[in-house]
Amino acid sequence: MQLIIEAIGFGIATGAVIALGAVGFSVQFGISNILNITYGSLMTLAAYVGLLLINHGVNAWLALVLGAVVVGVVSVVYHRALLAPLVRRGTRAIAMVIVTVSAGIILQYVIVSIAGPESHSYGEQSGSTLHLIGFTLSAGQVAIIVLTASLMLGLHLLLTRTTLGKAMRATSSNRTLARSCGISTDRVSDIAWLISGSLCGAAGVALAITTVSFDFSLGSLFLIPMIAAAVLGGIGQPYGAMLGGLIVGVSSEVAAAVSNPNYKDVVAFMILIIMLLVRPRGLFGAAWSTRRLMEG
Amino acid sequence: MAWEYYLVVMLVYLGTDLLAVWGLNLEFGVSGVANLAYIVVVAAGAYTFAICTLGPSSGNGGFQTYIGGFTLPFPLALLAGALAGAVVGTLIGVTGLKRLRQDYQAVAMLVVSLMVATVVSADTGFLNGSAGLALIPNPFADLDPEVARWAYVAVVAFCCLIGFLVLRRFTTGPIGRTLRAMRDDDTAASAAGKNVIGLRLVVQAVGGAFGGLSGALLAGFIGGWSPSAWVYIETLAFLSCVIVGGMGSDRGVSLGTLIIAVLLLQGVQFLPQISSSPGLSEDFGWIILGASTIIFIWFRPQGVLPERRPRYLGKSSSHSPG
Amino acid sequence: MSGDAGTVILDVDRLEKHYGGVHAVDGVSFTVERGSITGLIGPNGAGKSTALAVIGGYVSPTAGRIHFDGADITGYPMHARARVGLVRTFQMARVFGNLTTIENLLVAVPRQRGESAAGILAGKWFWRGEERQLVERARALLDTFGMSTKADDPARTLSGGQKRAVEIMRALMMKPKLLLLDEPMAGLSPSLSRQLEDMLIRLAGDGLSLLLVEHELDTVDRLCGKVVVMAQGRVLSEGRMAELRLSREVQDAYVIG
Repeated sequence: MQLIIEAIGFGIATGAVIALGAVGFSVQFGISNILNITYGSLMTLAAYVGLLLINHGVNAWLALVLGAVVVGVVSVVYHRALLAPLVRRGTRAIAMVIVTVSAGIILQYVIVSIAGPESHSYGEQSGSTLHLIGFTLSAGQVAIIVLTASLMLGLHLLLTRTTLGKAMRATSSNRTLARSCGISTDRVSDIAWLISGSLCGAAGVALAITTVSFDFSLGSLFLIPMIAAAVLGGIGQPYGAMLGGLIVGVSSEVAAAVSNPNYKDVVAFMILIIMLLVRPRGLFGAAWSTRRLMEG
Repeated sequence: MAWEYYLVVMLVYLGTDLLAVWGLNLEFGVSGVANLAYIVVVAAGAYTFAICTLGPSSGNGGFQTYIGGFTLPFPLALLAGALAGAVVGTLIGVTGLKRLRQDYQAVAMLVVSLMVATVVSADTGFLNGSAGLALIPNPFADLDPEVARWAYVAVVAFCCLIGFLVLRRFTTGPIGRTLRAMRDDDTAASAAGKNVIGLRLVVQAVGGAFGGLSGALLAGFIGGWSPSAWVYIETLAFLSCVIVGGMGSDRGVSLGTLIIAVLLLQGVQFLPQISSSPGLSEDFGWIILGASTIIFIWFRPQGVLPERRPRYLGKSSSHSPG
Repeated sequence: MSGDAGTVILDVDRLEKHYGGVHAVDGVSFTVERGSITGLIGPNGAGKSTALAVIGGYVSPTAGRIHFDGADITGYPMHARARVGLVRTFQMARVFGNLTTIENLLVAVPRQRGESAAGILAGKWFWRGEERQLVERARALLDTFGMSTKADDPARTLSGGQKRAVEIMRALMMKPKLLLLDEPMAGLSPSLSRQLEDMLIRLAGDGLSLLLVEHELDTVDRLCGKVVVMAQGRVLSEGRMAELRLSREVQDAYVIG
């Protein structure tokens, strides 16, 4: 029993990182209707930017902020320079996925050719161990849970309380209508890519902080739980992705605790496949997300 | 001689690549199913071939463990590889049966590819985990090594010939037309009485058989097979050949396979010799592949030799679509 | 089952389609007579297109039955409906863009020898004869629609009106018993739509049954014997257009929307 409670605590920490990534992924999909697989490699980029900074004596949490900013800016440029023009040229959605996969591979191997294929580590960043209501977590894990919670709250306030947030939601649900209402959709999508890219960067550095060691495949492996979380929550919906991240995190840690740890990712995979076959619009599927995913 | 050995390796690789690219083109270029898990059917063929020729797991001092273990004759083992590819291809196709957006299906298949690799690598009892299978016997081990090498090239060439004839049965004529209609608009195709789900599964099985045969031939030649040989990005290499050559065009994708092969060999030569990172040329190869895919999607999405449609002039119609 | 299989080709019985809490189609019943042109009209959001999509098999109904040509086809997928002769066209004309115009027609014929397992195994000699006949039928249709010069052009290069024509020719290649048309005149020039009207009247004269959703009431008046009026997911009234125009109920539905 204690084992399971500890696994749940771990799961919340894992889920927090997954949620960070899944929310960013969902925001991108919502705003631009592109399934951006490059996202995984951009997380890897963030982890290596963090590594560079930490090796130069920067504090891990400052490295997280800087990594987030760098990847946020890179994401905006990437969308502006490659994805948006391709969409304007009428490239089909299926080709867009191939483009984002290709770009992800390019980025991944650029990273390898600079940083090498070997594993890296941030060193001991976890700090002391804390005991909270039966959970045993490192200070680093707690910090990441708090960070995720506050970023999610911030995003929630942005989306609901600000004009910018309303413009983002309007653009997300109907771009043409939003434009005819005088919303500068290009500017809104730049900001959305900046925010989502920053979440991606933060998730990448956070993942590197919580894992023992990582290499260039960090992001591509993370794609499975992240997409599972996004699909679970109804892809394109930030709130669903938050909850989806928690569900995927907790269920895979619990499964790993009670069975073979090697099969941790299998749980995320099973969730994804079952959702795709049974309820592709997500658990809480709103009507609009159904329309976006189903053909016709 | 070294150059001769080099030539044999090139020919075998080219032949197995052609088979895989034809299969993927049937699925993606002709029928519109972006199977980003295609490398999994290649792996299925390779592992099946290995299991069918290695004998029981306890052999060779039991240093590798795997399920099954038979000693089938070479042609039967190749056939088993193709069959395994067909079965696995059909199973992968099942994930695409829901009426989802095509890009969404593609991502689902990408995740399938990542996941199968994770599972196979993690479980050492199944297919010997991340170490993979080694000591797959060469079918021509009894012959003089030089003769054996060319005999293998002949087998690959024969498989390509048969493969091409089978392929044309699916890409030309009324069935080729129907598959292309499904690719262009699957809803309109079902409104025109086409059983889209059934057709997709058939295509996944046939394309899977091509991939399986390719993997089996490769495993028999190399003598080993492990998860590092079928990372998800390997699918992108085949996809590049399809996109560069010309989606849906059999001649086009064959040319595309040649172009990509030359591009990789030449591109790597431009690289300055850096002794400290021996893997760099391979890394650079992936960058070239990714870049050429994006460049073609941007500037020439129809590829070097675009798909051509037959003309129906009067009563004497000729059928020779690209 | 109501209706007589002899004269009634389509019998829609208490059809319902709900999306969450929204009852897009809420208990709709009507019939289509053999060889007739029946119109389905109503204000925006009345559920006409949804009803047509359910009948065509694109969307599955929440409740209700559909009988076609004497058989219950409620559970049939779209392609199976097409094969028994219930064929639909789309509101936005959908063509197979990379196929040529004539190929768009040829591909539509169900159960071709060249598509069968035997055809794939045996090869060209097995299906050549049938193919030749299909090409002749397709050329004849293209002549009738005045599109012979476009036969070998890729369908994506056609104009909107031409695409609509391709869609209707494609449907005719299937030798349908009942054709479902979703706003066939939308986006056509007045002269083109008059031509299409004449064409549809001629087809009905040859024994084809038609069910069409249409906004333009004058078109409905000219074409349709019977008209079914829908509002808010239900059948409001049915009869001849001239009578319906006088009906208070129908006028209110159109004004209120």
